[in-house]
Amino acid sequence: MANSTSKTVYDIFQSMEYGAYSPSTAATARAWLERHSYSLGFFMDGKFVCPVDRQTHTVTDSTGGTVCSVICAKDEDISSCGSSASAGFKTWSELSGHRRAKVLLRLASTLQRYTQCVSELCDLCQSPCSLPALIRLTQYYAGWAQLQDTLMPEWIPRGVVAVVVSDDCSFHSIWLKVLPALAMGNAVIMVPGVKLAPPTLLLAQLFMETALPAGVLSVVTGDTSVGARVAKNNQISYLTYSGSQQDGEVLAKQTAGWGLTISLCLSVSAECPFIIFESADIDSAVDGVIEAAFKKKKDWQWVLCVQESVLDSVVSRLKLRITGLKCVPLGSESDRTLVDVAVQDALQQGATLIQSCSPPASGALYPPTVLCGLAPPSSAAVSPPPGPLLPLLSFRSAAEGVALGNRTPHGQAASIWTEDLNLALETAKSLCVGSVWVNSHSVMDPSLPQCGRRDSGNCTDGGKEGLYQFLRPSPSPALPRSTPTSLDYAAFGTTASGFMVPEGFDPSSVTCSCSQYVGGKLCKADSGCSRTVQAPGGAVLAHCPDGGRKDVRNAVEAALKVQPGWLRKSPAARALSLYSLSDHLEKRRREMAASIQAQTGLSMEEADKEVELSISRLSDWAARCDKQSGGMPPLPQTGSALSAPEALGVVGVVLPDAKPLLSLVSLLGAAVSMGNAVILVPSEKYPLPAIDFIQVLQASDIPAGVVSVITGRRNQLTQALANHSEIQAIWYWGSLEGCQFLQHTCSSPLKRLWLHCEEVEGNDGGKYWSHSSPSLQEEMWREAVVWKSVWIPTA
Amino acid sequence: ILSNCPALHNLEWVSKVRVNTQAVLKRAQQVQGCKVAKKQWQAAWLLKAVTCIDLTTLSGDDTPSNVHRLCMKAVQPVRHDLLKSMDMHDKGITTAAVCVYPSRVADAVKSLKAANSSIPVASVATGFPAGQTPLKTRLEEVRMAVEDGAMEIDIVINRTLALTGQWAALYDEVRQFREACGHAHMKTILAVGELGTFTNVYKASLVSMMAGSDFIKTSTGKESVNATYPVAIVMVRAIRDYYLRTGQKVGFKPAGGIRTAQEAVVWLALMKEELGNEWLSPHLFRLGASSLLADIERQIYHYVTGRYAAYHELPMA
Repeated sequence: MANSTSKTVYDIFQSMEYGAYSPSTAATARAWLERHSYSLGFFMDGKFVCPVDRQTHTVTDSTGGTVCSVICAKDEDISSCGSSASAGFKTWSELSGHRRAKVLLRLASTLQRYTQCVSELCDLCQSPCSLPALIRLTQYYAGWAQLQDTLMPEWIPRGVVAVVVSDDCSFHSIWLKVLPALAMGNAVIMVPGVKLAPPTLLLAQLFMETALPAGVLSVVTGDTSVGARVAKNNQISYLTYSGSQQDGEVLAKQTAGWGLTISLCLSVSAECPFIIFESADIDSAVDGVIEAAFKKKKDWQWVLCVQESVLDSVVSRLKLRITGLKCVPLGSESDRTLVDVAVQDALQQGATLIQSCSPPASGALYPPTVLCGLAPPSSAAVSPPPGPLLPLLSFRSAAEGVALGNRTPHGQAASIWTEDLNLALETAKSLCVGSVWVNSHSVMDPSLPQCGRRDSGNCTDGGKEGLYQFLRPSPSPALPRSTPTSLDYAAFGTTASGFMVPEGFDPSSVTCSCSQYVGGKLCKADSGCSRTVQAPGGAVLAHCPDGGRKDVRNAVEAALKVQPGWLRKSPAARALSLYSLSDHLEKRRREMAASIQAQTGLSMEEADKEVELSISRLSDWAARCDKQSGGMPPLPQTGSALSAPEALGVVGVVLPDAKPLLSLVSLLGAAVSMGNAVILVPSEKYPLPAIDFIQVLQASDIPAGVVSVITGRRNQLTQALANHSEIQAIWYWGSLEGCQFLQHTCSSPLKRLWLHCEEVEGNDGGKYWSHSSPSLQEEMWREAVVWKSVWIPTA
Repeated sequence: ILSNCPALHNLEWVSKVRVNTQAVLKRAQQVQGCKVAKKQWQAAWLLKAVTCIDLTTLSGDDTPSNVHRLCMKAVQPVRHDLLKSMDMHDKGITTAAVCVYPSRVADAVKSLKAANSSIPVASVATGFPAGQTPLKTRLEEVRMAVEDGAMEIDIVINRTLALTGQWAALYDEVRQFREACGHAHMKTILAVGELGTFTNVYKASLVSMMAGSDFIKTSTGKESVNATYPVAIVMVRAIRDYYLRTGQKVGFKPAGGIRTAQEAVVWLALMKEELGNEWLSPHLFRLGASSLLADIERQIYHYVTGRYAAYHELPMA
C-alpha cells in the first residue's frame, strides 16, 4: 500500500487507474470468531459443543492466512447428534405450519440484523453469499411452511434429513436445501465442507434467536468421510448431497444398501453451453460470457458455442474485452497444473488462445483465457479444468448449435443469446438441461425449480417442486433402514438363464407359451430361454420368455425411436390414447380378472375389483395428461419465467408382486401420460396379468414401442436396466439387495431411482395401490417428470 | 449536392443491428458499480472530468457578459490555490471547449482571444435543438458559425429521417453538414430521447459515424430524456463496432442532465470499461454540462481542505 498512497494526483491523472480499495477488515466476523477462540466445534441440541481430542482442519482466507479451525466429527459425535435431531424432529413436526413459518420469518429478520457479520464471515471463508438472496429464500419457504397444512395435507415430513454440501458449492446452496426441509417439518443435520463450516455455524446460532426447538438444526463438521458416516446413522431418513461429481459418486456407493433415500445435486462440475446465435445482440452476449466465465468462484463451467457467421465478430470483441482483465486466483497450486496441462493439450490440438496477459510463471493465478478453435473431442471441451478457461466451439445452423449443447453428459443449465423469440423458445425446449437463460445467465430465484439432468443430479431444488424431496405421502411407507450385505456388484443378476428340461407331463392341462412385448411386437426372449409361470398351488399356468440384457437393449432402442414423437403429440392426443387403453381393458375385463385369479389365487370378486380399479386408474392418468402443467411464477425481476415439467425419456419399471395389474397400470399410466416411454418388468412371481395385459396394449392405440413388457427373472432384468445409460430412471419394487445394487450401480452414470423394498412393504396386502389418496398419484407423476425453468428477462 | 450513397454493405451492416434492451440495462448497472478509490484518485478523476467538459450555455438570455464569464471559467475552471496544493496548477487544466449558440460564437472567440487562451469555441447548429428547419438554412448556419471562428460544430440530426428509417437520406444530410464544417470538428447530436428504441440509437450512431462525424453526442439537453448510462452503452458499442470495422476512432459526448461530480466519475468509468483508457481524453470524450463544473470544484475543495465549501467561496461561471 505504501507504493500506491505515494501516487500523486498527476500520476493518477495520467494513468487513470481505479485505485485499490482497501480490503475489508472483517472486524465484525473476527469478533464473532474471537468469542469462539477461533476454534469452532459442532452445533447440536441447540448449543455449540466442542469436544476435545478431535482432529482439526484449518479454514484459510484468500491470502492463505488462518481464519479459524474446525474439528472433525467422530462416530460418537454423529450418534449423539442423531439422537438430538430425532428428538428435535418430534417437537418440530408436531408444530403447525403457521408456527414453523413464524420461526422462518423471524430468521429472515434476524439475518437482516446480522447482515454485516454474516457476509463478512462468508467473504473471509471465500464463500461469498448474497444476503438479500438468502433473506428472500427464507421468506419464500416461510410461505410454504404457512401453506403446507392447507395445500399439501396428505404429505408428511421425512424425518431427520442430512444435508451434505462440499466446499466447492456456494453457501446459498446449503440453504436451498435446509430451508425447505425445515419448512416442511423435518429436522436437519448439516454437514458443510470445511470452508462453509464457519458461516453455517454462525447461521445455526442465529436460528436459535428465532426460538427454533433444540435439535432441529445441527451442524457436524469434518472431512469428506463425515457425509458417509452421518448417512449410516439410522436416525436419518433422507440424505441430499450438493457438490462435485466424483465425491457424489463415492458417497452414493458408500451409502448403498443402508436403506437411505439419497439424492445428488452435482451442479458444481457441470459443463454448461453458452450459445450465441447470429441473431444475438453480440455485444451484450460477449459481456455476458466474460462476466460468467471469468469469475473467481464460478458456479458452472461454461463452454462457449458460437454460430459460424458471427464467429469473427464475437472473437474480435472477446479480444478487446479481455484485455485489461486481471489474473484470476485459482483454488490451489494443483489447479494450476491442471490448467497448464489443459492449455498445452489444447495448443497441441491446434487451438489458439485469447489471453488478457501471459500467465505468471507459477502460482495459483491464471489470466482469463479463451481457447479458440477447439473441437468437441478435445479434453478441454469435454471436461473443462477449473480456472478461468473458456473453450470456444463453432456451429453452422441453429439445430447444430442445440446438438452441440446437448452433447455432454451434464444437464444443469444453458445460456442462449438471440433476439429471435421463436428460436429462443425452440432452443430452450430442445436443450436437455434444467435451467435455460435467454439473453442472460446465472439468474436464480427461489420460486423456480433447479433440476439437473443426466449426470448433473437427480433432485429438484427450489420452488414448490423442491419441497417434495423432503416429504412423502402419508400412506406411502418410507424405505426401511438396513445394513448393506456384502454384495458382489459385478455378479448381481448375471447368472445365465438355462433352457428347460422336459420333466413329466400332465395331459389334463395344456400350458400355452406366452410372448413378451418389445417395440410393439410379440417376441420370445433373445436368448430363446423361457420359464414357467406357476399358480400359488404350484400348477404350471404358462411358459413365459426369460428375458435378459439384449431384450432390454431392443426395448430401449424401440423406445428411443418412438418417445420423442409420443412427447410431441399434444397432451390431448396422449389422453385419447390412454382412454383407449382403459376402454380396451374394460372390454377384456373378464379375461383379466380370470388371469389375476389364476395367478394370485384371489377370489373372482376381488380380482374383478382390481380390474375395475385399474380401469378407473388408467382413466385418471388419461385425464391428467393435459392437466399437469408448470406455470409462470411471479418474479421480483422484470420479464417472464416459465417452469414446466418435461418427460424423463425412457423409464424402467420393476413391478411389485402386490396387485399385479393395478400396480402395473398405475405406474404405466404415470410414466406414459407425462410423455415417457416405459419398459415394464412384471413381477417374477405373478407375471400372468402383465402378460395378458399385452393384448390390451396391442389393441389400444398407444404407439408401438412406448410400452414394452419384458418377462423374466427380476435380478437379471434389474441388472440389465441399470446398465443401460439411455434409461433415465428406474422405479423398483423388490429386495433389499436389489435396492443396494441399484444405489451402487446407478450412481454413475447417474439415474433417478425410486426404490421400494417389498420384503417390508409387501405385508399390507397391496393397500398402497388401491388407496385413493391424491398424494399417491401426485407422487407418481412427480417421479415421472423433470423440471425445466426458462428465463426470459425483459426491460 | 452530394449524394454518395453509402456502400451497399454499410447499409446492410446498419440493418443487421440487434440490441437487447434488458442486457444493456444490466450492463449499465454493472458499470455504475465500478468504484474509484477515494482521496487523490477521486481528485485526479474529477480533474480529468474537468478537462473533458464542454462548458456550455445555451439560453435565450445569453449576452456577451455571461458568455465572457463562462469563457473565463473555462480558462480557470478550478481555483488556482486548490490546483496548486495538488501540484496541478501547471498541468494545463482547462475545460475542453466552450459551447454556445451560433450568434454568441463571435463573443466567445473574442473573450478567449483576449485571455490568450487556445480553448476552442464550439457552436450548436442546424436548427438546434429540433432540427426542424429547411436543410438550406441549416447548412448556412453551419457555415456562418465556422466563419465566426467556431472550431467545433455540434449538429443535430433530422429525427424524422431516423424514425422513418431513411438511413441513406440521413447519411446524405450528415455528409453535407460534414462538408459545410470544413476543418471544424463535427459532433453529431442524436437526440436519443426522441429515437424510440436502442436499436434506432445504434443505427443512427453508425450512420453518423459513416458520414464522417468526429464525435457522436447523446442529446441536446432540451429533450425530456437526456444522457442515460444505458443509451451511452449502446452508443459506445457502436463506436467500438465502427472502430473494429474501419480502424477509425470516433469520440463520444454525453450531454444533458449531468450535474454531479459522482456522475462525472461514472461517465469516465463507463468509457474506460467499454472503450479503454484511450477514450479518457478530450480528443475522444467530452461531457456537455453547465452546472457540473461547480459541483466538481466543490468536491475538489473538499479533498484539498477537508471542508465543504459555501457557494460564495467559489467563483461563479
